[in-house]
Amino acid sequence: MSLYVYCLGDELSESAFGGLTGVCGAAVRVLSLKGRLSAVVSAAPAEPVAVSEENLQAHNRVNAAALAASTPLPFRFGTRAAHERLAEYAATNEAALAGALARVRGTVEMGVKLLSKAEGEGRKAEGGSEGGPEDLASAEAAVGRGTAFLLKKRREALGGEEARLRAEGLAAWLAEGVAGLARESAVWVSPSEAIVVRAAHLVGREGVEEYRARLRGLRAARTGLRLLASGPWPPYSFSEISGQNHPR
Amino acid sequence: MADVDNILDEDEELSLLETLDHVIDHGLVIAGEVTISVAGVDLIFLGLNVLLGSVETVERVLGERERRVELLLGMVPRAALAPKTAAGGGPADEGE
Repeated sequence: MSLYVYCLGDELSESAFGGLTGVCGAAVRVLSLKGRLSAVVSAAPAEPVAVSEENLQAHNRVNAAALAASTPLPFRFGTRAAHERLAEYAATNEAALAGALARVRGTVEMGVKLLSKAEGEGRKAEGGSEGGPEDLASAEAAVGRGTAFLLKKRREALGGEEARLRAEGLAAWLAEGVAGLARESAVWVSPSEAIVVRAAHLVGREGVEEYRARLRGLRAARTGLRLLASGPWPPYSFSEISGQNHPR
Repeated sequence: MADVDNILDEDEELSLLETLDHVIDHGLVIAGEVTISVAGVDLIFLGLNVLLGSVETVERVLGERERRVELLLGMVPRAALAPKTAAGGGPADEGE
């Protein structure tokens, strides 16, 4: 029988999920696997699980219920496996899973996204840095077509470098802002995208309120920035056992 | 449900997007055991590096691989392979 799998832990109790339904409305239960390891599962539907609002919320609702009692390792949405396969996975990776559970014990994941409000406006305000047709025409008149083209390319390259430095500066600013509270961080920097910095922080449960207060302080300090905070989440960004959780 | 302390107006939509962002892209993975369906198209994640492609594509590629192995072992005539490989194409679309 194929099972839909929500999370894995060593402190999971059936009582945390009393009456809770999961993906596709199936009843949720705790399945013992290996040693103290157990998983939260429900009967898997015959078809691949649709990425619908209902199913996404159900997946996270079950993991949130687990998180309310202890910190589990959440599985990625759509994970399904036969009981035997799941038991084999737990047995094969027992030490790594125990290590991962120890790493997240007593913590929750908090998320932050930084969006630059003044990205477009800032560029316009600088004047002459857009490299538009009019700029190019006037530059051509002054220095010649080839030189104007190369000057435009130079400006674009410098602009990209500037954006990268700015994004990395924001990431460093955020890291400094939550220093001492974020036990671990996973940070993704995307200078050319609307969300310039995405960060996940592993925060001790006792530090969540102070973490939020710090973020409020950071938000107030930079009004030209949109700071979007979410959490607490099960440690989705800190659960993989391959060592690939930290892009940087 | 995790609470979202946001500065935008679309609370519910934002909350859903945050959930999507967390549960689709992160978490424990058992190789080959993540199968989802987006807008009626079945997708499969393989391994921890998240190779993402349609189930149909993956099955076709795996089928071709099996036929090649059988061919090498002399289990099927060479003619049986030709029409199948004509479709070509790489294994699956790579995710991140």
